[in-house]
Amino acid sequence: MSRPTKAASLNSHLSITPKPAKASAKPAGDKSDISRLDEEQPPHRFPKRNVQHLLMSLMCVGLVTAALLSLDRKLALNLIPIAYLIPVIVAATQWGIWPATLASVAGTGAADFFFLPPLYTFEVDDPQEAVDLMLFLVVALVSSNLASRLRRETEALRQREKEIQQLYEFSRRLAACFSVSDLISAIQNYLSRALGQQAAFFVAMADGHFDPPKSGSVPKVVQETVASMIPTIGVPAHTITDEPTQNVWLIRAVCSETTVHGLVAVNIGSGRRDSVDSKTRRVEAILEEVSLTLQRLDIEKAMEDARLHLQAQLLREAFHGTLSHELRSPLAAIRGSASVLDSMPVIRGDDRIHSLVEAISDEVAELDGFIQNLLSATRVTANGVSPRLEWADPRDIVNAAIRRRERRLSAHKVEIEFAEELPLVSVDSGLIEESFGQLLENAAKYSPSGSTISVSARAERGRVVLSVSDQGVGITPDEQQQLGRRSFRSQRHQATIPGSGLGFWIASTFVRANGGSIGMSSRGHGLGATASIVLPSDQDLG
Amino acid sequence: MNKSTNVVLLIDDEPKIRRFLRAGFELHGFSVLEAENAADGLKAATFNAPDLIILDLDLPDLHGTEVLEGLRSWSNVPVIILSVVSDEDEKVRLLQSGADDYVVKPFGMAELLARAEAALRRYFKTATENPIVMAGPLSVDLVGRTVSLNKNQIRLTRKEYRLLHILATHVGLVVTHDQLLREIWSGNQRDNIQYLRILVRKLRQKIETDPNHPRLLVTESGVGYRLQARLENGLEA
Repeated sequence: MSRPTKAASLNSHLSITPKPAKASAKPAGDKSDISRLDEEQPPHRFPKRNVQHLLMSLMCVGLVTAALLSLDRKLALNLIPIAYLIPVIVAATQWGIWPATLASVAGTGAADFFFLPPLYTFEVDDPQEAVDLMLFLVVALVSSNLASRLRRETEALRQREKEIQQLYEFSRRLAACFSVSDLISAIQNYLSRALGQQAAFFVAMADGHFDPPKSGSVPKVVQETVASMIPTIGVPAHTITDEPTQNVWLIRAVCSETTVHGLVAVNIGSGRRDSVDSKTRRVEAILEEVSLTLQRLDIEKAMEDARLHLQAQLLREAFHGTLSHELRSPLAAIRGSASVLDSMPVIRGDDRIHSLVEAISDEVAELDGFIQNLLSATRVTANGVSPRLEWADPRDIVNAAIRRRERRLSAHKVEIEFAEELPLVSVDSGLIEESFGQLLENAAKYSPSGSTISVSARAERGRVVLSVSDQGVGITPDEQQQLGRRSFRSQRHQATIPGSGLGFWIASTFVRANGGSIGMSSRGHGLGATASIVLPSDQDLG
Repeated sequence: MNKSTNVVLLIDDEPKIRRFLRAGFELHGFSVLEAENAADGLKAATFNAPDLIILDLDLPDLHGTEVLEGLRSWSNVPVIILSVVSDEDEKVRLLQSGADDYVVKPFGMAELLARAEAALRRYFKTATENPIVMAGPLSVDLVGRTVSLNKNQIRLTRKEYRLLHILATHVGLVVTHDQLLREIWSGNQRDNIQYLRILVRKLRQKIETDPNHPRLLVTESGVGYRLQARLENGLEA
C-alpha cells in the first residue's frame, strides 16, 4: 500500500491529469462519454450489455455528484470518500469488475473536479488532499474487485443451486419411470428444458445399430458418427464439432450394466472452453442418474423374470410329479404283471405266449426309458444339475450302463475293453452312467442289428475316457455342429429312427455338470461314429 | 424258508401293484397279507407277525420312511422298500434306518423275489447256524474263516476277508459304503471311499472269473455293494 501512495503523492504536486484522462474519467452524466468508451474498449470483449452496464455505473457516479453538490460544501467534503464508494459497490455487485473500476476512476475524477480546490480543474493544491484522493482510488479499486468477486461467486452458487434443483427434479422424475421409454422421454425433456439445448435420442435397435430420431434437426456429421457406432457395452464417448455452425455436440451412451439402450446427442453450443466443459459435466451428471435408474429397471425386470421362472418351475415340478408317479405306476404294474406271467410254468412252456410276454416287458422298458429321459430333461432345465461327487471306478459305471441297457443292446455284439490301469474318477456315478447309457442307446439306434458296438475305458494324461464306437450310419460335420442342441435330430433319420432328440443333450449336460466333456467323431457317412466322455481324474491310485 | 409257508405283508396303496405282487408271491409259495395304508400296515405287522414286509414309500397317510421307523422301534422283520425315485441319497437313508433292501419301480418279480429270499435267509440264518455262505462258485466259511472258489481254497488279505465277510453275512442284499467303511476300517477312514473302491478291485481279482465284468461282487452305484447269491445269466425276466 505504501509504495503506490508515495508515488501518487509525488505526482500530485504537478498534476494528476494523466491518470483520469487515461481512464477516460469524465464528469458524471456527460453523455458524450459513450462514443469514447466504445472506442477504447475492444468491442468483442464488451458486447452491448456491458456498454449498458458501464453507462449505468457512470450514471450512479453522476447521481452521487449531484447529491453532494446540493449539500453544504463543508459537509460534502467530509462525505466524499464514503459517498463515492456507493456507486463503486453498487456497480461491483450488480454489473461486475469493469463497471466498478470505471465507477472508481470516475468517482475520483469527479471528487477532484467538483470539490477539491482549485475547483473545476483536475488539479489538487493540497498534497494531503492528493494523497487522500489516491488512497480513495486504491480503496475503491480493491473493494470493487472484492465485491465483484463476491458477486461472481454468488452467481455461480445460484447457478449451481439451480442445476441441483433441476437435477433433483429430474431424478424425481426418473424414480417414476417404469419403462425404458418413460426414461427416454424424461431425458429428452430434461435436456431441452434444463440445458435449453438441442438434444436427440438414438434408440439402440436389436439388429446392432442406432435408430435416428424421427423429429429434430441433428447435423449430418453427428448422424454419420452415430451410424458408424455399434450398440455394445463400452461405447466410447464422442465430442464432435459441427463445422458450419461451430456448435459442439456431445454423444454419450445411455446404458445400464448389461445393455446399451441408446445414445444421446446434445448440442452444447459454441463458446469458451470452460463453459463447454461445465456443460459437458452437467450432461454427464444426468447420464449418471439415468444409468442408475436403468439399473433399477433392470432389477425390476429381473424380479419379474424370477416370478415367471418360479411359475414355470412350479409347472415343471407338477409335470415331474405326474411323470414320475402317474405314468410310472401303471408301467410298474404292467412290468410286474408281465414278469409274474413270465415266471408261470404254463407260459414258459408255450413259446408263442412267452414271446408275447417278453414283448410286453420290452415295450415297457422302452417306455420307461422315454419317461426317464423326460425326467432327466426336466431335471436339467429346472435347476441345473448338482452332482453328488464320489470316487467311483469307471469300470463300474460302464458295466452298470451296459447292464441297464442290456435289452436294447441285445441285437448287437458288445465288445468291452478296459485299460489295465484305470484311475478312480470323482463323479456322480448315477449321472455318468445315465450319460453313457444314452451314448450306448444312440449307438444301438444308429447302427444295423448284428454289428459290433465297442465300448472302452482308458486313462489318458490325467483323464479317463469312456467311449462307444459303432459301425453305423456315422455323422456328418454339419450334424456334428448341432449335436449339443436340445431336441436336435438329424433330418436323415427323422422318418426312420424313433427318438426325442433329448438323449445326447441330456448326456452332455450331465457330463459337463461333472466337470467333464463329451464329444463325437466319425470318419464319415456310413463309417460309424465314436462318442466319448472325458472325465477329469487327478487320482492315480488304480 | 424254514417254516412251511412264509407270510409276506404288502403295504401299498395301489391295487394294481398289490395284485401282481400277490400273484407273484403266491406262485412262489408265500402267503400274502395286504394293507392299503400305513395305519393298516402297522396294525397288520403287529397282529399277524409277517415274515417279510414289502413297503411302498408313497402312502396316503404316512411316508414310508416313518412306517419303517415305526416298525424298527419294535421289530427286526425284514423290510424291502418299493421306491419310485432312483435317488441314491434316499436309498442310503432308508438302508441306514433299517430297510434290508430296495427295488426301484418298475421292477420284475424275479428281482423282488431274489431280494426277499436273501432278506429271509439272513433273518433266519441265526436259527440254523450254518456257518457256510454260498454265493455261486464261492463259498465262505464264516467260522473257519476260509474262502474257496470252485472248491479251491483262495488266500485273502485280512481286509479283503473282512470285506467279503460283511458281504457274505448279507449275501444277496446291498451293503452301504458307510457300513463297509465303518466295519472294515473301524471308523478311521470312514470318508475315504477310494480305499474301499481299491479294496473291492483287489478282491474282485481273486474271486471273479473276469474282474472287469464282476458277476458276484456287484456295484450298486451311489449306494454300496452286493454279493450275489447266485450267478445270473442275463437279465431276470
